[in-house]
Amino acid sequence: MAALTIDNVQKRYGQTEVLKGIDIAIDKGEFLILVGPSGCGKSTLMNSIAGLEEVSDGRILIGDQDVTRASPKDRDIAMVFQSYALYPNMTVRQNIAFGLEIRKVPKAEREAEVKRVAQMLQIEHLLERKPSQLSGGQRQRVAMGRALARRPRLYLFDEPLSNLDAKLRVEMRTEIKKLHQRLGTTIVYVTHDQIEAMTLADRIAVMRDGELLQLATPQEIYDNPANQFVAGFMGSPAMNFIPCQLAQGDTGIGVQLEDGNGQPVWLPLPDGGAGLQQAQLGKTVTLGLRPEMITEPQPHKAGQPLVREVAIRVDVTEPTGADTMVLTELSGVEVNCRVNPRYPLATGQLASLMFDMSKAVLFDPITEARLDN
Amino acid sequence: MNNIDAVQTLSEAKRAPLARIQDRLADWLPKLVLTPTLLVVLVCMYGYILWTGLLSLTNSRLLPVWNFIGTGQYDRLFDNDRWLVALNNLVLFGGLFILVCLALGVFLAILLDQKIRQEGALRTIYLYPMAISFIVTGTAWKWLLNPSLGLEKLVHSWGFDSFSFDWLVDPDRVVFCLVIAAVWQSSGFVMAMFLAGLRGVDQEMVKAAQLDGASMPTIYRRIILPSLKPVFFSAFVILAHIAIKSFDLVAALTGGGPGYSSDLPANFMYTHAFTRAQMGLGAASAMVMLGGVLAILVPYLYSELRGKRNA
Ligand SMILES: Nc1ncnc2c1ncn2[C@@H]1O[C@H](COP(=O)(O)OP(=O)(O)OP(=O)(O)O)[C@@H](O)[C@H]1O
Ligand SMILES: [Mg+2]
Repeated sequence: MAALTIDNVQKRYGQTEVLKGIDIAIDKGEFLILVGPSGCGKSTLMNSIAGLEEVSDGRILIGDQDVTRASPKDRDIAMVFQSYALYPNMTVRQNIAFGLEIRKVPKAEREAEVKRVAQMLQIEHLLERKPSQLSGGQRQRVAMGRALARRPRLYLFDEPLSNLDAKLRVEMRTEIKKLHQRLGTTIVYVTHDQIEAMTLADRIAVMRDGELLQLATPQEIYDNPANQFVAGFMGSPAMNFIPCQLAQGDTGIGVQLEDGNGQPVWLPLPDGGAGLQQAQLGKTVTLGLRPEMITEPQPHKAGQPLVREVAIRVDVTEPTGADTMVLTELSGVEVNCRVNPRYPLATGQLASLMFDMSKAVLFDPITEARLDN
Repeated sequence: MNNIDAVQTLSEAKRAPLARIQDRLADWLPKLVLTPTLLVVLVCMYGYILWTGLLSLTNSRLLPVWNFIGTGQYDRLFDNDRWLVALNNLVLFGGLFILVCLALGVFLAILLDQKIRQEGALRTIYLYPMAISFIVTGTAWKWLLNPSLGLEKLVHSWGFDSFSFDWLVDPDRVVFCLVIAAVWQSSGFVMAMFLAGLRGVDQEMVKAAQLDGASMPTIYRRIILPSLKPVFFSAFVILAHIAIKSFDLVAALTGGGPGYSSDLPANFMYTHAFTRAQMGLGAASAMVMLGGVLAILVPYLYSELRGKRNA
């Protein structure tokens, strides 16, 4: 049985549709991450789950209980907000205990709970302080403590780390992950940070304009995106989108494009272009290839059927230490390649790079939908 | 570094003398512009405060005389029954005025904060009394509260002959009339202050409290209002100083009467200094009022300035 079921949830403000029928079901203990561009309705969905906003249509179930019309306090949900939303007039202790106090938990129990949470988050020495006397990271911990104190059925995190500096963000990310593993809680988490999404999530839900585009595991989203938007949204640097033609080759259907010399090259597709029809030959499509699939020639892969060497012109090199990012132009678009820093490259010269097509995907250039599955 | 310095000296040397005079002027201009106001404030405010302080130590009557008699005027002041009535009235009037204004202002602000329609219009209606001078307020309420003209007459004319509302002519109750008029005038302003404060409250905090299970009244009582402590403080200081310097309201609404039962210290001061030829006594009462205002303002300014420095 699902811990949270979002069934065709819609939300309208007057004429504007903010959520256009979202369907998500998550299991107990699952960590779901919502991503999507700004304004796509992530916070609206979170607020709807929490009961802070009424949905216009659809149902929300927690466990097997329909809470669509229940008030926030009856849903047994805790939420951590981007602004932390601590109560400024209360000490950390009172902040954490407030929800318990409102729910008439006896004092002794309350104190034990505050102690447990404070220990877990290592904020015991801060308990008597007011929120204004805390640093950003400490506030964030207190906000988490407040959510953890009640042991609710469901946790909602709306960009909880976005106000922290990069280093603290990485630390807190790890802590959240540990916490989730230790407590086995069910979490819905909104973030703009792809790394956060990839590292924390059991499953990722990608949204755009109030629609759910794909709901899958991080690896599945990364390797097998449902459309060009999802493919471009996840991963950094983003996936390359290269216009090319479908063409028949010796191992099946592949794609044809121009290399750095202006010569045509044919590249194979996984499974000989399974899912494509002969009738589509010659059609212009968008090839999606991640930068790490375009590398220096690697001898151990040389003979593989889906690997080809292509001459490209090196326009710009960007060393990052671990890799050197090479920018080139293919079929009139900029293409990112991830090359070993020791591989000799000269700007403006030709270089031979290895295209590994085993994870190549194809999109329709107009509808941006996947073509090859 | 050295190079830059050298270039600078060079260019300065090349500048025409006219440019240098302009530089000077630019330096001096702010000071020149500020001097007149500074002088006026120094002489007219602090100078006259000092002057009044000195006068309160003399036995001046119709005109200032520099015949110092020490604290004699203060002794006389605190033996004066009329002054004691005025002080008593101030405590009663000020206390009630501040309390009722705060309570009403907070209440109205919370109501207006519920995202109601026509909020702008309502806000303006509540704020308008603030735009009227106390003289007008006083005169209007004099008519409203006058038993033979206003409310009492109206209710009588509806047929409720036993109704009586004669606080304006009742020496024991007349202070409450002052409170009613002053609250009518100022509570809208307090409301506006609190409304601004409420609008600044983080909505996510309210949501968090809702998820914690708190009802809206609890959220206001436990979280929102306590976090508006600075607004309470500012409103208190503003209302307190309105109360202490209330002069025109009394002059217009009751004229200090019946008898001198609704006098406030400011009226006492004016009467003695300017119409009863007791300038020394009037000056002494003015100094006591100043003390009262300072007692409220100094802690306020102190906390404000200290807060700024910490922030
Ligand atoms: N009260 C409202 N009335 C009308 N439109 C609204 C209202 N609240 C939100 N919206 C619209 O709903 C859309 C979704 O907003 P939401 O806050 O859910 O976005 P989000 O995905 O959380 O964005 P971000 O990543 O920037 O936080 C936005 O386009 C916003 O303009
Ligand atoms: Mg948001």
